[in-house]
Amino acid sequence: MKHTKVWILVTVLLLAVCLAGWLLVLGGRAGSATAQIYQGGQLVRTIDLSQVEQPYSFSVDGPAGGNTIQVEQGRIRVSHAGCPDQVCVQQGWIANGVVPIVCLPNELVIQVGGDEAEGGLDGVSG
Amino acid sequence: MKHLTLAALGLALLLASCAPAAQEYTATLLAMDTVMELTAYGPEGEGALEEAQALIQELEGLMSATDPDSEIAALNRGQTVALSPPVRELLDQALELCGATDGALDITIYPVVRAWGFPNKQYQVPDPGALAQLLERVDYAQVALSGDTLTLPEGVELDLGAVAKGYAGDRMMELFRQSGVTCAYVNLGGNVQALGASPDGDPWRIGIQDPEGTSYLAVVEVTDRAVVTSGMYQRYFEQDGVRYGHILDPDTGYPADSALSSVTIVSPSGTLADGLSTALFVLGREGAEALWRARDDFDFVLVGQDGTVTISEGIEDGFALQGAGEDYNLEVVRR
Ligand SMILES: [Zn+2]
Repeated sequence: MKHTKVWILVTVLLLAVCLAGWLLVLGGRAGSATAQIYQGGQLVRTIDLSQVEQPYSFSVDGPAGGNTIQVEQGRIRVSHAGCPDQVCVQQGWIANGVVPIVCLPNELVIQVGGDEAEGGLDGVSG
Repeated sequence: MKHLTLAALGLALLLASCAPAAQEYTATLLAMDTVMELTAYGPEGEGALEEAQALIQELEGLMSATDPDSEIAALNRGQTVALSPPVRELLDQALELCGATDGALDITIYPVVRAWGFPNKQYQVPDPGALAQLLERVDYAQVALSGDTLTLPEGVELDLGAVAKGYAGDRMMELFRQSGVTCAYVNLGGNVQALGASPDGDPWRIGIQDPEGTSYLAVVEVTDRAVVTSGMYQRYFEQDGVRYGHILDPDTGYPADSALSSVTIVSPSGTLADGLSTALFVLGREGAEALWRARDDFDFVLVGQDGTVTISEGIEDGFALQGAGEDYNLEVVRR
């Protein structure tokens, strides 16, 4: 009987730990869209898009003249770029992780993660 | 004792539910003209990711048609090349797919692709006469693989762009397995490939991009599969109000006109999924269904311009139209 009580205690404790872990994981996801900006393979900036109150811009240097990145609440885009193809500018705003913004000449990648708009997906084929 | 067993069972269940806490390692890199996102779980993940990145660089260096130092570029210049094992293996697999699709996939279409300006993004609509001449050089049957060296006939040029990312996915899954990784996910510029089940033990939930927008239109659930999509929306240019997409029909030399917006292939093989997503886009709905009936190594999702989504029965379980897909009709093709 004593053993049973110990096991129940252990189980309850583990339950609590797991629950806390789950809440942390889920809480990190719910309602927050985080943009990660990579240049030359390095993560250079992380922005919680849900926390952006005033729109702002900043520049990231790159081998093809760099990129100017504009941020508003819930979305992000490349507003100007020195690259010849301008593919990154033409893509416009992104607000979810379905398609990242890529500027190959400037080695720039903008990914958005942790967004409810993705409907609990592990990834997108496209 | 019964209580003890129950408690132990509960414990095991709880531990299983804690699985998302497993170590997750990710890497983002630019290679093969696209962004690649690699994720591996568990203690072996970190080292495996390093090796996976080196592998991608190696494959890109061998296979890029636009890199003058690659084996493919040397072949396209008419040189005799001692093929490296990866190029040899991929050429074998690609030529098999060209044959199986009766040339709807043709890896010798590069002269035509260049005439349209897709490799260097200097887009133009080629002169019809010039196009007809270039088409005479297009026929995968001219690539005679025997032994370890290859020389292409004059004027024949290869482009492995329709299969190289798929092959890279296969090689990465193999590398992960050998490293002891049991759970991994890669997205190679829209080519998704997953090893095992997702970290919580359920199948991976993979969205399929809406060809008409920036969201997704369906979800497919997979374990140990590649999920590869081809569509004109991925690369195109406009001239005089006409949109020209990058998937060219090897029969005509013009962008494929098959009433489809996108084709997604689900298969254990990344190379096959990659190559067939292009081929089925060219073949259209009827050709796609016929090929599926003749084989047992893939399933498909066809998004039609008429607002119909057609899937093959093998992926019916766990498939759902979602998001932008709620406006589409779903059809299931059965054997
Ligand atoms: Zn750019």
